[in-house]
Amino acid sequence: MSLMVPCPRCGPRPQEEFTFGGELRALPAEDVDDFARVYLRRNAPGPQPERWFHAFGCRRWMSLTRDTVTNRIDPDVTPSGG
Amino acid sequence: MGDALRFEGRRVAVEPGDTVASALYRAGVRTFTRSLKYHRRRGLFCMTGDCPNCSLNVDGDPGVRACTTDARDGQVVLRESGWPSAEHDLLHMTDRLRRFLPVGFYSKTFIRPRFVWGLAERVIRRATGVGRLPAGRAAGAKPARAVHVDLLVVGGGVAGLAAAAEAGAAGSRVMLVEERRLGATVWDARAVARIEALAQEATAAGVRILERHTAVGVYEGPFVPVVGPDEVLHIEAARVIAATGAVEAHAVFPGNDLPGVFLSRGAALLGVRHGVRPGRRAVVVATTDEGRTSAEALRSTGVEVLIHDGPVIAAEGSGRVRAVIIETPSGRERITCDTLVLSLGWAPRDALLRMGTDQEVAGAGEVVIPGCSLEEAEASGRRAANGRGEAASDVPTVPLASDGYVCLCEDVSLHDLEQAWDEGWRSSEILKRYTTATMGPCQGAVCGRPLAAFAGARADAVATAGARTTARPPARPIPLEDLAAGVDESIEQRTSLHDRHLELGARTERSGSWSRPTTFGDIEQEISAVRHRAGLLDVGTLGKFLVAGRDAAELMDRVFPVRVRDLAPGRSRYLVALDGAGYVMDDGLLAALDRGRFYLCSTSGGAPAMEAWLRDWIDRWDLHVHLLDQTAQLGAILLAGPNARTILERLTGDDVSAGALPHMRHAEITVADVPCRALRVGFVGEVGFELHHDRSRGPELYDALLEAGRPEGAQPFGLGALDTLRLEKGHLYLGQDTLPDDHPAKLGLQWAVAMDKPGFVGKPALERMRALPLERTMVGLRIDGEPRRGIPLLAGDRVVGRVTSSARSEAAGGTIALGWIRAVDGAFPTELFAGGSRTTVVPTPFYDPEGARVHA
Repeated sequence: MSLMVPCPRCGPRPQEEFTFGGELRALPAEDVDDFARVYLRRNAPGPQPERWFHAFGCRRWMSLTRDTVTNRIDPDVTPSGG
Repeated sequence: MGDALRFEGRRVAVEPGDTVASALYRAGVRTFTRSLKYHRRRGLFCMTGDCPNCSLNVDGDPGVRACTTDARDGQVVLRESGWPSAEHDLLHMTDRLRRFLPVGFYSKTFIRPRFVWGLAERVIRRATGVGRLPAGRAAGAKPARAVHVDLLVVGGGVAGLAAAAEAGAAGSRVMLVEERRLGATVWDARAVARIEALAQEATAAGVRILERHTAVGVYEGPFVPVVGPDEVLHIEAARVIAATGAVEAHAVFPGNDLPGVFLSRGAALLGVRHGVRPGRRAVVVATTDEGRTSAEALRSTGVEVLIHDGPVIAAEGSGRVRAVIIETPSGRERITCDTLVLSLGWAPRDALLRMGTDQEVAGAGEVVIPGCSLEEAEASGRRAANGRGEAASDVPTVPLASDGYVCLCEDVSLHDLEQAWDEGWRSSEILKRYTTATMGPCQGAVCGRPLAAFAGARADAVATAGARTTARPPARPIPLEDLAAGVDESIEQRTSLHDRHLELGARTERSGSWSRPTTFGDIEQEISAVRHRAGLLDVGTLGKFLVAGRDAAELMDRVFPVRVRDLAPGRSRYLVALDGAGYVMDDGLLAALDRGRFYLCSTSGGAPAMEAWLRDWIDRWDLHVHLLDQTAQLGAILLAGPNARTILERLTGDDVSAGALPHMRHAEITVADVPCRALRVGFVGEVGFELHHDRSRGPELYDALLEAGRPEGAQPFGLGALDTLRLEKGHLYLGQDTLPDDHPAKLGLQWAVAMDKPGFVGKPALERMRALPLERTMVGLRIDGEPRRGIPLLAGDRVVGRVTSSARSEAAGGTIALGWIRAVDGAFPTELFAGGSRTTVVPTPFYDPEGARVHA
């Protein structure tokens, strides 16, 4: 398998350069027990918001939407602020 | 004397444009290989690299197809199949023993009694096979290179070149790969001229054309690995056009595998392109226009040609074609000849198209319109370039006769298929697995359609039974070593002291991606130096981060369980990093700097993940933090031992006394003119100074420390000594001693977790787990025996845990270890056995439990 990830800083780069950060989910309130967030994954087919880290590139995070069935990535990628 | 290759000790002249096959054929070679199972003679058939018949050993490489390999002066060519030789093969008797070697015989004969198979397998393996692997040659020598293009065109014929030229002219970045040289497998001069013209047009349009490059398959992406003579390309293409053409259909009839049976393109290539007459008298059975045209071309080379369009009943001959029986309106006719030329239809080379069904792969030219004219092929290519590829046309298969070989690679006859069918293997996919038809080097290029037709004709009840078998990479045979291309290109990280270590005689090891010294000679002596005098350890591999910005303290406080708010500048604390589930990911040191900044050290292996982890939280919480990864920028040397301070004082004017710089404090000092951040740490259990410095100053600092340390008996040490030194202190190696689901309580690290902080990553999980009984814990062990790592710990006859680290320790007086144990009936056992030795759970540290030496 090979996938091109449209890094907003480096342009489209092969997926091997990236670290997958999992599904993007809302942050829980600080003191709430985040059992579901920690242990449960939605794992649903279709478009999924995700986190990707460009480990062998700009070393920055981004948020993007990938279709888990077709592996198509929405070109509209949000770069991280960090 | 002109060019010549050496064939089995014999000199064979090479003409310009020759392939190995055409040169050998001109020299009278007719038997090129012996078939896999029955050792039947096989000769040239397709001349386009689509069948297995001409696989020879060329310059030591086995399984090289002679028909697509350019002949060169000095080449050494051998036939590998057959014993004692391909020409006089005694194993040919297997052809007479066919009824004792039925299809799938290896699955049902020689299997009882069991030991027989071991012997039989050795014999079978020696008797079969298409070549021997070259011994003693390293694989994977080719580099792998990543290429990104808008369009990849596979196949440099008329359609492929037209597609590439069209797309290139429209501004796309286009790469075209051709398995051979452009035009080398085309016999028609008109087609060759068109290919040359289109190649010029494509080159002018900026298309990169790579000859002798073979596309192996289509993977998700689309991603196409391409094997070239000196490299393997990993091609990421937005679009792929397969213009791989077609081969003439394989016909199944008795004698269809005899030398002298040719596909018409193969015969024409030999006669027209290479000037080698395939025979004196040829029967051409052609149902296609091209077949009739090529027959005329063959006639012009001086071959006596008899053209028929009726079905072939059989070819006769022993060892080569002597006569052909054909069906004519007036009945069956037997014609004496030495060559049989077939053009009975098409077999598109559609493997890439079928692999890429859900990818952006379009077909152009003969692969979708078999037998099309040059003009049609060109138009089809241009259409495909403009995104209007066509669906593959239906290709009628050649009717199967009464017997004959379906699969030339694996020696599977129609008779074998019928027998397998009768045994109950009733679809193309399971016939394939049972008979191994389509599983040879040609990957079903020749036999895929006949196999499907065989099953389809018999299984009308189940529609899928007669389907083509799934196309999988590799589409074309490639050397095994090409699959390993690029795998050795791993990155070895080195610190600035690497060369110094080698000069000092260090034996190095890979630790993660780093090359680090194991020892400089004697591990015991290195341990002794640290305990009694002083030692130097390169710790430049540690993760080193500068954390700055308005929210730096908030980030540290919320990510890590360590207490941060009361950490004054100049002080440092041990920290563990927890994930959301409360499991320990990494550990390290957090040092508070001035102006609200922090200096964070992680383990060497954990540095990349630590950076990603922190950046994720900075982003998710929208904090104002600057994180600077200084791992590669800074070096670090640990100077530890009772004499460490004396040595350091010789090189610095700064106050490094126990009062000025106590344990777990740090200061900016100058050592031998090198500015350093000196951190007091105690991983090895002695007075320790970690000197973090600019990487470029590393060697001079190291030299100065070695020099100043010599009178004090200081010496460099490596990971071997470190392993025992830290074990004597009961310090964990994360990853070696720990498991992925270890939370701090299991490791005895509760003291490093400030549960009264308002919140940190993993805190809710730790609170939840605090309510649960501890089922597993990390303990110190004393073993009455030799140190052994990884062995089970037994309580009675029950396995209750495992030893994760162990060493013989002089300081602790015996064999010590760390390991984890499970609770038995709610309590942790204390008397155990490890590898037959009595083992006792003891408190850690094993050495200097009060820590007096660290604080000195």
